[in-house]
Amino acid sequence: MSTDETREADHTCDVVVIGAGPGGYSAAFRAADLGAKTILVDRWPVLGGVCLNVGCIPSKALLHTAFIIDAARGMTKQGVAFAEPQIDLGKLAAHKDAVVKKLTSGLASMAKTRKVTTIQGTGIFAEPHLLHVTSENGRETSVRFEKAIVAAGSEASTLPFMPSDPRIVDSTGALELRQIPGKMLVIGGGIIGLEMATVYAALGARIDVVEVLDGLMLGADRDLVGVWQKTNARRFDRVMLKTKVVAAEAKGDGIHVTFEGENAPSEPQPYDMVLIAVGRKPNGKRIGAEAAGIAVNERGFVPTDKRMRTNVPHIFAIGDIAAEPMLAHKAVHEGHVAAENAAGKESYFDARQIPSVAYTDPEIAWAGVTEADAQSRGIAYRKAVFPWAASGRAIANGRDEGFTKLLFDAETHRIIGGGIVGIETGNLISEVCLAIEMGADAVDIGKTIHPHPTLSESIGMAAEVFEGICTDLLPQKRS
Amino acid sequence: MPLVDVRVPNIGDFDNVPVVEIQVKPGDEVKPDDPLITLESDKAAMDVPSPQRGKVSEILVSIGDKVSEGSAILRLDVSGDDSKPEPKSGNGKGDEPPNETPQQPAEAAPPKPVSLTPVQAEDRTFPAPDFGSVHASPSVRRIARELGIDLTKLTGTGEKGRITKDDVKRQIARSEPGGGARTGIPEIPAQDFAKYGPVETKPMSRLKKLTGPNLHRSWLNVPHVTNADEADITDLEDYRKGLDETAKAKGYRVTLVAFLLKSAVSALKEYPDVNSSLAPTKDALILKRYYNIGVAVDTPDGLVVPVIRDVDRKGILELSQELSSVSARMRDGKITPTDIQGSTFSISSLGGIGGTTFTPIVNAPEVAILGAMRSKMQPVWDGAAFQPRLMLPLCLSYDHRVVDGALAARFLRKICDALADVRQLVL
Repeated sequence: MSTDETREADHTCDVVVIGAGPGGYSAAFRAADLGAKTILVDRWPVLGGVCLNVGCIPSKALLHTAFIIDAARGMTKQGVAFAEPQIDLGKLAAHKDAVVKKLTSGLASMAKTRKVTTIQGTGIFAEPHLLHVTSENGRETSVRFEKAIVAAGSEASTLPFMPSDPRIVDSTGALELRQIPGKMLVIGGGIIGLEMATVYAALGARIDVVEVLDGLMLGADRDLVGVWQKTNARRFDRVMLKTKVVAAEAKGDGIHVTFEGENAPSEPQPYDMVLIAVGRKPNGKRIGAEAAGIAVNERGFVPTDKRMRTNVPHIFAIGDIAAEPMLAHKAVHEGHVAAENAAGKESYFDARQIPSVAYTDPEIAWAGVTEADAQSRGIAYRKAVFPWAASGRAIANGRDEGFTKLLFDAETHRIIGGGIVGIETGNLISEVCLAIEMGADAVDIGKTIHPHPTLSESIGMAAEVFEGICTDLLPQKRS
Repeated sequence: MPLVDVRVPNIGDFDNVPVVEIQVKPGDEVKPDDPLITLESDKAAMDVPSPQRGKVSEILVSIGDKVSEGSAILRLDVSGDDSKPEPKSGNGKGDEPPNETPQQPAEAAPPKPVSLTPVQAEDRTFPAPDFGSVHASPSVRRIARELGIDLTKLTGTGEKGRITKDDVKRQIARSEPGGGARTGIPEIPAQDFAKYGPVETKPMSRLKKLTGPNLHRSWLNVPHVTNADEADITDLEDYRKGLDETAKAKGYRVTLVAFLLKSAVSALKEYPDVNSSLAPTKDALILKRYYNIGVAVDTPDGLVVPVIRDVDRKGILELSQELSSVSARMRDGKITPTDIQGSTFSISSLGGIGGTTFTPIVNAPEVAILGAMRSKMQPVWDGAAFQPRLMLPLCLSYDHRVVDGALAARFLRKICDALADVRQLVL
């Protein structure tokens, strides 16, 4: 069905995608591959969104650097001592920027090959089938579309009382690497804050962390976070849980921050840099939703059904703007589902699990049901843990602090979740993801021959622990 | 007060189905799955259940109204309902809301929600069944979604009860073609033809809507092969014309169809496998010891296949009279169910129109159908010279599971021989 509007628009297309982050570009590319005339709108001149430009990718470039610095320091124990690193911040930032540029220019050429038209500017719905795009210089373009996919993402939440000062940054500012602070405060004990803390600590900063809730990286099971905390105790001067920042004053010698709460220091503390990482909020209220009749909830999410349709059937929403968790890999899959439905296919977001990874050091990765989930939802489960202290490879690496934990359905013995802490666990968790999606049970995983000696072995071993047949640990009591 | 429009869900291939009963009135409290209204299609009556809890605020249809998928039937006040709302659109196309939508946004209208049903954040459990903990891999879940199969209702035959792709395919095979269930055949995508030029939507006749699914079912189930042959009807035509002259005076006609009926019976008697049906278990033939032959009749509304009973016990004149009266009744639309039941074989004659060959669709569960085209005077070599002979092209489509090519050729030759030598018909 075509719309009955006849007003002229600068562009017409089958599918318009608003936002060129991983979800948006994946949706646009998939739609184009399915034969739709597709337009991709983004407020930035480069594709890739937060993830590629100021998120996942640049932070990983820096985290890898941090890991090497720390690993080199750790070699002293093994009899190989390196001199303290000479850090050229400008060069490091340039390397990070080159990484980003390589990826984003790759995206631009893929868009071109697929004949996806890109328009720079902020997309706002004007009508159910009309989008207005305003570029930075105020030029307005209109796009008439049959179907729209909203992938406008999220933005970092702010603390309104914080003064405006270049030393107070969000994750984007922290990635710019303007300075290596002597003393740094990270507000927010979530993944983003702690990843940036990992980078700056490796570069030499002393770090305090303040978190209003009673735990770091909530969402991961506490036993996993416990390993991270123990390993990182040396990095932090203060970890202030159940504490909040109530005031901050920018002075010549630093940002003086006042705390309140259970672990608050009595005096305001001076910092050379303050990172605000208190979460992200969806951009649902910034897309002109009402002009198209799109329902947006009070938090700013655009709710969808399993086919990623909003309440307006020809408009889809995916990624951070649609629902938690705000993760690029979730957005990509949702983008494909939305594009397929927009092209008239029957596609559903039927994922059993969405993995989470904290790219800290050690990394924490988990997928499926966590123990906390299982307990709160009353799911009968049994767990099996394989400590890395029994892994030859982990010991050889000099990093045996981690463990691999698998959760199984108590009755069917099918895997329902897993969590791993240690180095490289972001890569290891994929096997758990696949096992959950395929409905593998403990025997399936245990009987799968894993290469030796690897960290991935620990997953097979954990399944053997569940079966009570692991011969790399002391004999288990038969239950 | 949040109001939700309840719409007719996917009801299969039916459009403009009459409302025959309204089971609720304004003010009634309804729970999910409570029946709201009853619709009656050609095949069955069906209830439209409430998608969620709520209080009926307004009824938007009356008894006798014709509704289709997506038509709004009533408004539900869902204040205080936190259960999951049904999606308004079940048509799987994600297209515009149907035209009846009261809150449909008009161009340049002041912004207001087009929202038909409130949806909740983080709620991924509607509209389709949640596959939850079903033991099926992502590829199987995907194919199930594409084919509209609810995996929660399937029993897996794979290892540890895993639902396999084969299980999904078997489920498709089980669901009745033409019924509400999807057949698993990819739909031909809808197109907006109006984009290319002016169009007009002409409703199909009731007859066509009924015969279509039957033909589709036969086409999908029966492995069809068609053989062609020619009968020399030069002598038969002389004989027929003579009979027809006499008959005209008595108010009926003697057509070639009566002879086709008789010759078919003689062939069916010689080759009884063709007068059979495949047993439902598909491991036996059910041979029929009666000869009822369906004759396709073209009517203004479409094709009807009335059955001429006991053709073996009737003569040419009796058959001719019966054909005349039955055809007249069919064209007047006076068809009773018994007229079209119980045939063992069918004949479709296009001789009155033209053509040289065609491939009729077997009228399953019969196993063969004879097609006749227009006869033509042709030069036929008699061993010494070309003779002008009136030749009738015939074709036989058959179910290759029951009839093989040699049997079909023999059967068709037998018909040709019988037509070439009318004396055989009385044997």
